[in-house]
Order: sequence, then C-alpha cells, then structure tokens
Amino acid sequence: MNTDDINLAYKIRHALNEQLDTLPASTTDRLAAARAAAMARKKPEAPKTIWRKLGSVFSGPAMSRLAVAVPLLALVIGMGGVYQHEQQQQIAELAELDAAVLSDELPLTAYLDPGFNAYLESQQRSQ
Amino acid sequence: MATDKELNDFLENVERRAFKQAVYAVRKDESALDIVQDAMIKLAEKYGDKPAAELPMLFQRILQTTILDYFRREKVRNTWVSLFSGFSRNDGDDDEFDILSTYEAESGSAASESTADQLERAQTLRLIDEEVQKLPTRQREAFLMRYWQDMDVAETAEAMGCSEGSVKTHCSRATHALADALRAKGIKL
Repeated sequence: MNTDDINLAYKIRHALNEQLDTLPASTTDRLAAARAAAMARKKPEAPKTIWRKLGSVFSGPAMSRLAVAVPLLALVIGMGGVYQHEQQQQIAELAELDAAVLSDELPLTAYLDPGFNAYLESQQRSQ
Repeated sequence: MATDKELNDFLENVERRAFKQAVYAVRKDESALDIVQDAMIKLAEKYGDKPAAELPMLFQRILQTTILDYFRREKVRNTWVSLFSGFSRNDGDDDEFDILSTYEAESGSAASESTADQLERAQTLRLIDEEVQKLPTRQREAFLMRYWQDMDVAETAEAMGCSEGSVKTHCSRATHALADALRAKGIKL
C-alpha cells in the first residue's frame, strides 16, 4: 500500500472512531454490563508452584515433545545402568569363587577320589 | 499475566469497536451485543491469566469465532424454519453460504438508520460506515483489525488464521474498494 492508501485508511479510521461517540446510551450501558459480567468470571490466578513453573517451561509444541523424550531417555539410561551393575556383581561373585577354589590347599581332584571321601567320612564319624 | 485492571481497561477500550465490528458482520444490534458479551466472557474465563500484550489478538480470534458460531446457529435455525414453513428451498446453495445475501438490516439498527436529514458530516460518516459494511467479510476483518484495532500484520494474520501476505492483500483491496466507493459518491476525505 502506498502513502495515499495508508492516509485514506487512517482517515476512515478517524471517521469510524467519530461514529463510536454517537452510539446510543442503551448500547454503551449494555456493553458496560457485559464487561462487568466478564470481569466477574475472570479466570483466577493460580498460585505458582514449582510444578507449574516447570510446566510453563515445558509449554509449547517443541518443549512438550521434549518433556516426553527426556524422562523416557532417563528411564532407558537408568535401566542400562542397572543391567551393567548386575553383570559386574555376577562377574565379581564368579571371580571370588574361582579364586577361593584355586587358592585352596586341597587340589580339586581330591574330591573325586573315593578313598579320600571314605577318609573324610571316617574322620567325621570319629569326631 | 493481565491484572484485573489491565483486562478491564482492555475490554473498555475495545468494546465499542468490537460491537461495531459485530454489527458490520451480523447487521443486527441486539445480536451484535450478545456476540460481544459472549466474546468478553470467553476471553475473561479462558484467557484471563494471559499477558496483557496477547489480549488484542486473542480477543479478535474469539470475536471472529463467536460471529461464525452465530452464523452457524442461524443457518441451522433458518433451515428448520424454512422446513416447517412449507416453502421450498434450494439446497444447491449450501456450499456457498453468503452472509450478505442471508441477512437484511434490522429496522431501527445502526445499519439501516436513515440520517439523510442530519448534518453533512453525519451523512458522510454514515456513508463510510455503509461502505465498510459492504466490504467482503475477510477484507473488512483485515482492514478493521489493522487500521482500527491497531494490530500489526502478524497479529492480524494469527487472529484471522491466514498468512501475513493474505492480510496485506486483503487490506490493500479493502482500501482501494473504499476509495473507489467513496469517490463514486463524491466523498472526499
């Protein structure tokens, strides 16, 4: 729009504004009553808790997607951590068992010897 | 968030212009008052906690939606009235619902008020009012939001649900149409 068009638009605006002053009193009264009715039903301000503040941070389409993705990612990472921990525990237990068996003075083959078993039983009986 | 005073001041500032906007659309003073009241209540109830800067755009969106709802209700009502009155009805025009062809000015309303015997200035104002009312709906909405409600192009586009380019086109066409119409009637502003 060129300058003339904009000038005309503002002149028309001025004319329209002038007309507003000639509105009948019944109309302006009714509008004032409507405004009062609207104000009486105004949405009250909710107290801002930490959750509401967080909610306002995660508002908007991109942020709401992020609000779903972040806890999901945290859950996956947490589950991976628990799995790794369990694996480490299992390995440590096996290593401890292996070390105990290997460091024992009695060789493993002794337990397969029937004569040795008979000796152990006789020892237990005599006690 | 808008305080009670900010919301009240905003509504007070916008109410008469909103009323005229509704009158241009529905051409009935009583219906226009109901529409403005509905729009004000919806704004206060649903968006009363929004920042004051967002209120003009939100209110315009609500106002346009409320006007559209009014036309939808009237269309349904007219369908039932015409069915029960026994008059045959041409169903072919259902797709093209033309607001201007459906509504006639209510006698006694601002739209049909004759002021031929009043001062020249008053007559000029009335003619301008009529020419604004004659504009196609979208052009009128864009023109009034931009130049009467002081909304910028982006706000107007958001309120109308169209692109900024469309708003500029609507405004330009509306201004040219008004200039031509006023020139044809010998009105010089």
